Amino acid sequence: MTATALETTYPTDAGDRLRKARGNANFTQQEAADNIGIARTTLVAIEKGRRRIQINELRRLAKLYGVSVNSLLRREAVHVELVPRFRKLSDAVDNAVNEAIEIMSCLAKAEVELENLLGIKRAKNYPPERPILRGDVKAQAEHDALELRRWLGLGDAPLTDIVTLLEMEMGVRVYIRRVNSRISGLFAFDDELGPCILLNANHSKERRAQSAAHECGHLVSTRRKPEILCKDKIISSREERYADAFGMAFLTPPRAVMHKFQEVTAGSDRLTRRHVIALAYIFGVPREAMVHRLEELGLASKGTWDWFEASGGIAEQHVKQVLGDLAASDGQVADADRPTTLRLNILAAEAYRQELLSEGQLADLLGLGRIELREILDDLEIEGQEADAAPNLLN
Amino acid sequence: MQPPTSLTDQTLTIVADASAVISITASARADLICSAIPNRLVVSEVVVSELDSGRSKGHSNAVQLQKLIDRNLVEVATMGDEAEGHFESLVVGSARNTLDDGEAATIACALEIDGIPLLDERKARRICNQRYPKLSYGCTVDIFAHPEVEKTLGTADLAFAVLTALKESRMRVLPHHLDWVINLIGLENAAECNSLPRAVRMQASNQI
Repeated sequence: MTATALETTYPTDAGDRLRKARGNANFTQQEAADNIGIARTTLVAIEKGRRRIQINELRRLAKLYGVSVNSLLRREAVHVELVPRFRKLSDAVDNAVNEAIEIMSCLAKAEVELENLLGIKRAKNYPPERPILRGDVKAQAEHDALELRRWLGLGDAPLTDIVTLLEMEMGVRVYIRRVNSRISGLFAFDDELGPCILLNANHSKERRAQSAAHECGHLVSTRRKPEILCKDKIISSREERYADAFGMAFLTPPRAVMHKFQEVTAGSDRLTRRHVIALAYIFGVPREAMVHRLEELGLASKGTWDWFEASGGIAEQHVKQVLGDLAASDGQVADADRPTTLRLNILAAEAYRQELLSEGQLADLLGLGRIELREILDDLEIEGQEADAAPNLLN
Repeated sequence: MQPPTSLTDQTLTIVADASAVISITASARADLICSAIPNRLVVSEVVVSELDSGRSKGHSNAVQLQKLIDRNLVEVATMGDEAEGHFESLVVGSARNTLDDGEAATIACALEIDGIPLLDERKARRICNQRYPKLSYGCTVDIFAHPEVEKTLGTADLAFAVLTALKESRMRVLPHHLDWVINLIGLENAAECNSLPRAVRMQASNQI
């Protein structure tokens, strides 16, 4: 009798993959076993790799977990359990957060599998870890943020694009997607995926930069612990206070702020809206955060932001008057409105062109409908003669 | 122009993949097309599930397919032991040599019932050629190009159905069907049809 595919090409980590899929679908072993009509001990044996699963059991489990059999047992498929790890953060995980975690998890897994299939090696130049020590947490954060700036060779210069910096210089996977407005960011680290950050495209570019810098603080200090950053979250734990202080110090280093403050306010004896708008623009942070930083650094008196708020705040029309066209551009939002990211689209199209993955496999991997996927593939012209006749890349 | 269809034997059961179902149901003439095809039309239960999962995203193909099933124009095939064995060999293994569940189930069902699967997917066709060289397969456009479909719809309505499928579902057209499709829908429509290769669109545009 001929050996079946499950007998000949059964992945050694199949049990582990099934366990992770069960965790992501939030079933206990007992529930899963009951659902497909096997004993819990049988499922335990399968998940521990002591018993090979049968195809009919596999189909029933895949259906129960809401995944395809191929995605479970495709050799190169990436299996991680980000969702259960976030779930352990207890009450912070509601439906909106769960959806955001799913988005980040799906994008990161797809990206890693496509990179692996296409032989793309991503640099793992993660910044050195700096565990939080006893003592003043804010002082540690400020120190570590400036140390990271030195490590990256940034000096005191304002950052124009922290997302690209995280991606290219620190090997972080950053996704900017539209999620519930309450969520500012997510951070997770996984051995297979590396560090991943999700930022909310519904928030302003400055707000996203602040969230990104906060999550960078977690990458430096508490890398192994997933984190959900929510709007108006009360910063109480040492880890959160560290990440907050790290973020501000990273984006607005004291010497740079003092220097630019002097330039911007030259000749004036008052802090005006124009000054705040200009400084917030230079450092790419929200205006409120900028004013609080000025208060913190002794460049403005405590309660300055409260005064602005009580005096009508800083309206968008003020910003337009001061910055003109500079205020408008935010290309990351346009990318966030695509079904997936531009990079993923390009990787997916290449995997399709090389017949590494079929249309069905790609649609499943990217969580897209077939028609959405076809639109992406058609737009990238991988089927046409254009790609065949295009110039060769130089080595 | 004589349509190049692979569906010449009406005794064979046609097994449609999700790709074919999506395009046929997007054509706005699914009932007439499925009624006109003299062959028995089936879809695998796995494909039905795949399309069902798209309902939550607002895709209506599953609803349309259910109507065809309710009217007995399409049957749902369940995999038997033989099909399950083929299915297993098509989904377990390396990415390059495996297919998605729906694509695999379509081929597996066709093998079990000696049917003819509709495969638009290059990789699926390559795998079929390598592993099942005796298995004949067709593609979605074969359904539209079937003489009985043109007889039922008439040329103008057939052109409308094909154009709608191209626009609404980005129907895949294999190279050997391009001339037939362009001739049917006309150069102006072909020039604006994003699901056709750019070179074909440009050529059509130059000929207008």
